[in-house]
Amino acid sequence: MRDCKIVSRKFELPNSHTLEVSKAHGGYKTLEKLREHSPLEIIDIIKASNLRGKGGGGAPAGEKWELMPQNSLKPSFLAVNCDESEPGTFKDRQIITKDPHLLIEGILITCYAIRAKHAYIYIRGEYKQFQDILQGAIDEAYEDGLLKECDITVHRGAGAYICGEKSALLESMEGKRGHPRLKPKQKEPEWFFDNPTLVNNVETIATVPFIVQNGADAYRAFGTEQSPGTLLFSMSGHVQKPGVYEAEFGTSMMEYIRHFGGGVKGGKKLKAVIPGGVSCGVLTAEECENLTLDYEALRCMRSSLGTGGMILMDEDTDMVVALKNILEFYHEESCGQCTPCREGTGWSDKLVAKILEKKGTKEDLNKLLEIADTMNGKTICVFAPAASAVIVDFMRKFRDEFEAKL
Amino acid sequence: MSFMFSKENLLKIEELKKRYPNPHALSLPCLWMAQYQEGFISLDAIDAISQIIHMPSMEIYGVATFYTMFRLEPSEKLIVDVCKTLSCKLCGSDEILEHLEKNDTIKLRHVECLGSCSTAPVMQINDVYYENLTIAKVDAILKELK
Amino acid sequence: MSEMIDIIVDSQSYKVQNGSLLIDLLIKEKIKVPYFCYHESLGADGNCRMCMVEIEGQKRPQIACDTFIKPGMIIRSKGENIEKVRTDILELELINHPVDCPICDQAGECSLQEFYMEYGLHDSKISISEKVKHSKHLDLGSNVMLDQERCVLCARCTRFTDKITYTHELGIIGRGDEAKVTTMPGRKLDNPYAMNVVDLCPVGALTSKDFRFAQRVWFLQTVDSICHGCAKGCNIYIDHNKIKYQDDVIYRFRPRRNDNVNGFFICDAGRLSYKQLQENRLESAILNGEKITQMQAIAKAKELLAKHKENITVVIDANLYTEEIEAILAFAKELNAKVCSPKEVYRDESFKDDMLRSSNRAANYKTIERLNIDTKEPDSSSLILNFNHPQDFEATSVINFLTHNRLSLGLSLPIAAYSENEGTLTNEDGFTQKCEKAIFKNVPIPTIIEHLIRLRR
Repeated sequence: MRDCKIVSRKFELPNSHTLEVSKAHGGYKTLEKLREHSPLEIIDIIKASNLRGKGGGGAPAGEKWELMPQNSLKPSFLAVNCDESEPGTFKDRQIITKDPHLLIEGILITCYAIRAKHAYIYIRGEYKQFQDILQGAIDEAYEDGLLKECDITVHRGAGAYICGEKSALLESMEGKRGHPRLKPKQKEPEWFFDNPTLVNNVETIATVPFIVQNGADAYRAFGTEQSPGTLLFSMSGHVQKPGVYEAEFGTSMMEYIRHFGGGVKGGKKLKAVIPGGVSCGVLTAEECENLTLDYEALRCMRSSLGTGGMILMDEDTDMVVALKNILEFYHEESCGQCTPCREGTGWSDKLVAKILEKKGTKEDLNKLLEIADTMNGKTICVFAPAASAVIVDFMRKFRDEFEAKL
Repeated sequence: MSFMFSKENLLKIEELKKRYPNPHALSLPCLWMAQYQEGFISLDAIDAISQIIHMPSMEIYGVATFYTMFRLEPSEKLIVDVCKTLSCKLCGSDEILEHLEKNDTIKLRHVECLGSCSTAPVMQINDVYYENLTIAKVDAILKELK
Repeated sequence: MSEMIDIIVDSQSYKVQNGSLLIDLLIKEKIKVPYFCYHESLGADGNCRMCMVEIEGQKRPQIACDTFIKPGMIIRSKGENIEKVRTDILELELINHPVDCPICDQAGECSLQEFYMEYGLHDSKISISEKVKHSKHLDLGSNVMLDQERCVLCARCTRFTDKITYTHELGIIGRGDEAKVTTMPGRKLDNPYAMNVVDLCPVGALTSKDFRFAQRVWFLQTVDSICHGCAKGCNIYIDHNKIKYQDDVIYRFRPRRNDNVNGFFICDAGRLSYKQLQENRLESAILNGEKITQMQAIAKAKELLAKHKENITVVIDANLYTEEIEAILAFAKELNAKVCSPKEVYRDESFKDDMLRSSNRAANYKTIERLNIDTKEPDSSSLILNFNHPQDFEATSVINFLTHNRLSLGLSLPIAAYSENEGTLTNEDGFTQKCEKAIFKNVPIPTIIEHLIRLRR
């Protein structure tokens, strides 16, 4: 497997979170040449690289940047999404603790390109320890005079998965309940107190310095045509060596699991993998056999790459218990705004509980699928559709396990 | 009894106000400050925040109840948040939870994914993560915190 | 102003403003789509997901309250597909709802019940014990009761206190299926328009303490009228009913939409003014504290009119209908009497606000002005005819025409209240509006005009 450390290059260095170590290993180098490019040229480089958002959606970053006005009378903002709450995902945490200066460098480039003078990093409330490390790095950057033209403020969440949804994140930053907003009818930036705002994931921003430093082609040298570059893929669950390991898109999933993860824990057989956080459709071991880790391959499997946070489940895993666990998560985390989600997540959780208590009937299984159908495509954000897909996939692929419990 | 932010917090609030286009953005930061200052968020504190950031108390109250980490009541006991989501569950969080259920000197909460799946099972106490838990490890941690 | 464009809804063409909201068109054209959260006074929130329609070219059904009309749009509001979507969402809406229509005051005017009849009619698939439990019978204050279990979290009430009254008493706390509407602990819903949330609530979550359990809504008859609480002239419905063997009774006032006057709302004082209207009515004629018959009263009045040929003053209440005021003026002219309608008594600065409440608490003072009626108090007179003016005036003799009992000497004749009569009023902004006759009493009380006819005979 080809070594390709774009974001994780400095992770293993001692004190990699400090400005001194960062600078000694090429940190902030891009800033020296940054002004040789106009903001629009930077956006062109990002577009040419086809950098795709690494927070789960995989939308082309450059297209989002392009929506930001270059001559706005209102101030423009960058909001960096560090609300990392997707179960199975813990990659942004590595960046802010192991190379926060890479993120800061990325922020400075991005803000230059979108003409923002202030960036916020919205961090999940639970990450307080890691926030402190990140804040330490920002303080160092201020002292070093790196943040003369652009401020960075860390904004702490307080426990709400939904705030990872970009418009809910901004609602939360505006001091409100984290309710996703109605989607705009045309392409436009996000809005923070009515000011144009770009929301990008931590890892996306942390990838920017490499691309600007080495050029779009250097980034495209990794990965596939449509999913270029790398991702901080990760593994957890029934795996020998869980953790975050950067790899290029298009890597074979099983090879990745063997190479970095050392295979399934305890030498057991693999039963299933949830490829990119629980919101991505579950895959059986057979489906994973010849699968590559890129957006297109996963989409072909009617799943998605998500955040690249793989959860492995071995042969002894009870898939009904696993689904119950995921539905508890959705039940707990639904913001409660839209009817299908507010009521559907709770009801499906209760139905699976009933099945686990061996009180379920065949009708309950059908009902579960009906609820999933009602939750799909009828809400403001994609939270309910994700929950819906989880139900459908578990029941489609492991129906015998559900039926055995009736 | 009315709530007053400490001098230090008031200074922090003034500094933060300069960093946002609208003081409403300070609702979460202020709620945090109130919680750290008093151990929980009282209605008086919500009224005080309302005055400072010009947001209705009811709205702040709605915000405070939306986020799971805000506490609207004081807790005498040590709050222990154990992650119960899939990766932790696959790696034995049930055992940890079962063990802690018996401990009535703590306030145990089953929380959703803490974003520490590679070091499961995980718990969080007072902002600190404790990872790769075993029952013995949990007991040792709790003993030290007492 | 945007251009007018053509769109097609259910195979029919409509001319409509480009960029306007689809749901407004559907409501205007009475094309039935179910909805809870949308309200024309509050705008779209998009949370209930009920107003789904199919739009040609769109993969998924869309909510009409968040669809802006574009040229050439083809919309289907009916059909198996879209009706199934609504049925499914409605089923979810109902799983945590107690379905207690038989004891719910909203029954008969409940959107949830109505949509259930239209789209649901399924059995409840969740047993009672599994439903999420919330509080019932919460007294929010201002005559508003909350049942959180019946709530569909449409947020109309919270948006009302946030965007209309700016008083912010109501909000949603918690999240997911634990979310609920409430006030701050220990605090009340407290604003002069609070009871409008009862009308806004599409279900039985918010009910009026004043109306609760008083009457099933399907027994009520509704009549268009105008509130007499101040000069604003808010449009109202009078909901009344005559129970067998009893008299016709008003059970409530509700706001009636009029974008020129009151929009969608009325103030609580006006809403509750039906009580004073019905209480303490003067029902028989009185002479110096003693009841007399109508015949005797008319005879006595005629005798007084014959006795005092000069120095008569007619005092007019500025709440009377224009038709009544004009008839009184004609009568006064015959008597060669002075006419006045002293206005100071109507002035109430404490009542005024910048929403609907006017400091001028007389429903038809504009007509008094238009007819150039003197608004100063009367000089000393030998005979005063007081047509329901709230003040009492000294004179040698007094003939009162009153809707309500009042401690006054002399002769008092009962007159019909505005709800028992029809007529027009002109509000302070110059809008002339009609009140229908709502109440038909078992023993009708004569109107002013009827009295005047008898006095002339």
